Amino acid sequence: MNIGKVRTLAFYELQRTVARKKVLALVILTILVDTIPYYFLSTAGSSSIPLAARPYLWVVGVFLPQAFFLQFIALFISAGSMSEEYEQGTAEILLSKPVSRDEYFLGKFSGGFSLLTLVVVLNAVLSVASSTLTFGPQLSLEILPSVVISQVFSALVFFCAAFMIGELVRRSSLAYIIASAVFFTSQIAGIILGAIFRLTGNEFDHLLDLYLPTSPVNSLPLLVARPSLPSGATSVLQLGGINAIESSVAFSIGLIAVYAIVSLVITRVYFGWADVAKKIS
Amino acid sequence: MGEVVQFEETVKDYGSKEIGPLTFSVGRGEIVGLLGPNGSGKSTSIRLMLGLIRPSLGRVMLMGLDPLRHHVKALDKVGYSPELANLQAFMTPSEFLELTGGLVGLGRGLLKEQVTKTLEDVGLSAYENYKIGKLSKGMVQRLSVAQAMMGPPSLLVLDEPMIGIDPAGVVHFRSLFRRFVSDGGTIIMSSHILSEVETLCNSLAIIHSGKLVFRGEIEKFIQTALKSRLIEVELQTFPDDLLVEIQGVPGVTRATRMERGYLVEAASGSDPRSEIAKLVVGSGAGLLSIGYSRGELDEAYIAAIKGSEN
Repeated sequence: MNIGKVRTLAFYELQRTVARKKVLALVILTILVDTIPYYFLSTAGSSSIPLAARPYLWVVGVFLPQAFFLQFIALFISAGSMSEEYEQGTAEILLSKPVSRDEYFLGKFSGGFSLLTLVVVLNAVLSVASSTLTFGPQLSLEILPSVVISQVFSALVFFCAAFMIGELVRRSSLAYIIASAVFFTSQIAGIILGAIFRLTGNEFDHLLDLYLPTSPVNSLPLLVARPSLPSGATSVLQLGGINAIESSVAFSIGLIAVYAIVSLVITRVYFGWADVAKKIS
Repeated sequence: MGEVVQFEETVKDYGSKEIGPLTFSVGRGEIVGLLGPNGSGKSTSIRLMLGLIRPSLGRVMLMGLDPLRHHVKALDKVGYSPELANLQAFMTPSEFLELTGGLVGLGRGLLKEQVTKTLEDVGLSAYENYKIGKLSKGMVQRLSVAQAMMGPPSLLVLDEPMIGIDPAGVVHFRSLFRRFVSDGGTIIMSSHILSEVETLCNSLAIIHSGKLVFRGEIEKFIQTALKSRLIEVELQTFPDDLLVEIQGVPGVTRATRMERGYLVEAASGSDPRSEIAKLVVGSGAGLLSIGYSRGELDEAYIAAIKGSEN
């Protein structure tokens, strides 16, 4: 494995992804999500926010995009990573170079994932900055690095799934649609199963909910942060509808790892076996 | 002469269509024109030799290696320019060549030097900092050839390299490719522009309906495919008996007067050019030029394709 070639491909993938306007639009949307709520909270609703909760309002910006925006950015970045290269015919050029399939695969994956990591970090930094500017110094920030790492790690589920779908279908639009459908189905199924469980107490429904791909994704960062946050901060999160479905950090990590590894193995095997598709656009 | 590409009973089965079995090779120093109608299997052959697709049967060897199993080694000295390449519009030509140079393993210092030289070679120096999306089709085509030349390679595989390039560019590219071969390189070039193939290539591989119709020298192909050959004789003056004398040369089947000389039809397999030249010089007509008609490859190609259909 030539690390120099992997690095070259990763940097190229990073540039390529940034150049795609839809990903850029989602990043801008995330920035807005991190700033606008604080503006409204500071102007319209500041009197209703308990004083004890104000030093922990950074959690709103950090956790609010976790369930939707960050996962959406993850799948938007990765669904086109392989498929767009086939559509444009650039895969043919890149793979006709003395580059192994492993180097190409790793370069594309790491380039896209680096960008996603940057977005997660940007989200955290902006949230802390916005909350500090509007509500004064923030507390318990020492847990922020572990929260960010858990967010990056949990984003692997839909990043890898969309990466796999993009490689399997080799059409970017179709890959976005399928990956988004998987994501929304999982989210909606989670809501329905949760509601049924609360109504009936049926453990099987709860068990199903635990294994949905969105469950560990939504839960892990919160499980990591919760022990270090005061009750005021966790109640703010609950008010925002941010709850953990899972109860164990280890189980969440394991489930995320399983989903990511299975997706990556399928992608790599198919990529190694299948012909390089011809340009279609 | 070592072989750089070998097809050994290679078949690619697409389900609805089968390409092959193909058995032929390309030797070092050749400029091979890969010809065939649309959908005949030219692109499949190129993609097979680059290890982009897997043969269903048989095998392909590139630089003596299987390009699927030993992709990095086999493609270490190979440059490929696809037909109507879609290059990344957000990059500049320099950035794109830096990317492809990085992938062929050029170090940082050598990379800058090669990017500058290659851009100069293909006539894109003035556009090195333009976005590719702003370049014309011809310039993108030049850049596509440029990225293939990074390394530099010893084998160039070019799919329709002259598409969209202006006449001056075509002349420039011809000399660039000839220089590449004289420096020890090999070129495999797919094209529908037969005059270009005739001018540049020294051998042909013709594929039709997935089968190899001909592999060998252009001259041999024309002799094989055409029953008769046309010789154009350009003259200063037209002495009275010269036409009759030419008609009497062994191998000549017919001779007619044209505006600037004679058009002589000769049986394929015979070569009466030196006899005709002697007669013209002896008559004092003033020989300006003599040679086979430039359009012969077109005719031979059509005849060969029709022949393989029957």
